[in-house]
Amino acid sequence: MTAVIDVAHLTKTFKDVTAVDDLTLQVEENSITGLLGRNGSGKTTTMSILTAQDFPTTGTVRVFGEDPLENARVLSRLCFVRESQKYPDDFTAGHALRAAAMFFPRWDEAFARTLVADLRLPLTTRIKKLSRGQLSAVGVVIGLASRAEITFFDEPYLGLDAVARSLFYERLLQDYADHPRTIILSSHLIDEIADLIENVLLIDDGRLLLHESTDALRGRAVTLTGDAETVSHVIGTREILHRESLGRVASVTVMGTLTAAEADEAHRLGLEHSPVPLQQLIVRLSQRDQRSARSATQTTEKAAS
Amino acid sequence: MTAAVDSTPAVSQAPAPVPSAASRIWGVVRIQYLNRYTFVGIPLIILAAAVVVSIAIYAMIGADSPMYGGAVQAPLWYFVGAGVQAMGLTFPFAQALTATRREFFLGTALAALLAASGLSLVVVLLGYLEQATNGYGINGYISRLPWLWEQGGAVAGLLYLSFTLLVFFVGFWMATLYRRGGALVVTLAAIGLGVLVVGTLFVITRFELWGDVVRVFAEAGPLGVTGVLCVLVALAALAGWLTLRRSTP
Repeated sequence: MTAVIDVAHLTKTFKDVTAVDDLTLQVEENSITGLLGRNGSGKTTTMSILTAQDFPTTGTVRVFGEDPLENARVLSRLCFVRESQKYPDDFTAGHALRAAAMFFPRWDEAFARTLVADLRLPLTTRIKKLSRGQLSAVGVVIGLASRAEITFFDEPYLGLDAVARSLFYERLLQDYADHPRTIILSSHLIDEIADLIENVLLIDDGRLLLHESTDALRGRAVTLTGDAETVSHVIGTREILHRESLGRVASVTVMGTLTAAEADEAHRLGLEHSPVPLQQLIVRLSQRDQRSARSATQTTEKAAS
Repeated sequence: MTAAVDSTPAVSQAPAPVPSAASRIWGVVRIQYLNRYTFVGIPLIILAAAVVVSIAIYAMIGADSPMYGGAVQAPLWYFVGAGVQAMGLTFPFAQALTATRREFFLGTALAALLAASGLSLVVVLLGYLEQATNGYGINGYISRLPWLWEQGGAVAGLLYLSFTLLVFFVGFWMATLYRRGGALVVTLAAIGLGVLVVGTLFVITRFELWGDVVRVFAEAGPLGVTGVLCVLVALAALAGWLTLRRSTP
């Protein structure tokens, strides 16, 4: 495996806002990575810098081993249509696709036509007049049909209806299987893309919280549901991510897995144990991070006073 | 005998060849022309309207001596807007198509040069038409103005071309400044340019140099003025490029 994206200590500040804060990460070739995080966490800024649309304040960015800035050799292998993409005045979706066909060396016109039909994208309406979903569809068609070696999708589902969204995920997986490439999908609808992504890149407040394979992440926590005391007994000293209780019944999410013996015991004691949905796990993990950040500040404040 | 070993074909695709810089710059030119209204349709519509309105006015006046008007400059001013649009809306899209800033700038400058050349050619042809028809048969002139055509149609065309390009690059630069620094920076730049112009006018007036200025223009002729305009075009283009280099979509 080779890293096609290599970011070291990347920081980006806009006046008094730090959008990206000391980010270090690598992305392997031919993989689908979910770039997850809340609104304003720095997802779009990171992708903009990787595609040389924006400039790093400090730190280094290497794509295919080179600095992407003003580098056609690197840039001609990328594709990044942003969520709020602007198009020339009076352009129709048809114009935009013709322009894309000129620029992306691997553009597949037949594939683009199929996607346009599938997503019911009107080609002769001016882009200004398109709905939010149709605007997203323009970006989806360009992103998929460009077959760029690294393709960034920036919240591509905005405004798309359920049918169009699942169609996008389906086509993405299918085409990825036929034409392996590196795909980075920014999203905050985590469960919807959970089955699609092989790796999770979670950023919050511009900092990297988590970079792990989806499978490893799934194995990191477990939820036990049943009689509150029994649950406490089984989890022992494991770190609790989340606890919900209703009367005597508790549902507790803990870090780690159960051994076979523990799983048997839990079953015998009438507890239900279930894997944690990716979205919940990520929410809990980011909350844990915030808690520890808060307590760290409190400790320093106490020490200072 | 050893069994032949099949060489397994690589699963991943070979990287596509990098398109040449020239083809990518030409790609930017083609994007600017995908919607033909911006650089072709609208300037011609404005020119046609200016000509029709001028002829109507000349016909109403109906003087015996030749009548001259400046309506031909109408489509030229539209190029401020063309410059603003090329930067404001096409730049973010060109970035999405992975064009570098350099490719975008060169392609856009080439697109503007082609459009301004075409427009200038039409204006010059119009001048010859006016010459051949004695001012549309009513002694009215829009393109073929005495001083402008002193050194022939070709020079008049060059003057028209350089002025159109100047207007385009000033618009382009202003839009780039807006992208970099917002309305305040554009306002300050415009005030700066205004102060410069008024200052020059003040110095000329204060030291009573108007006679010299008129003489300089008369001596320089249309070709000399074209030369001065070309220097200004280069300065405006350079300012635009320096501002664009650090612009983000």
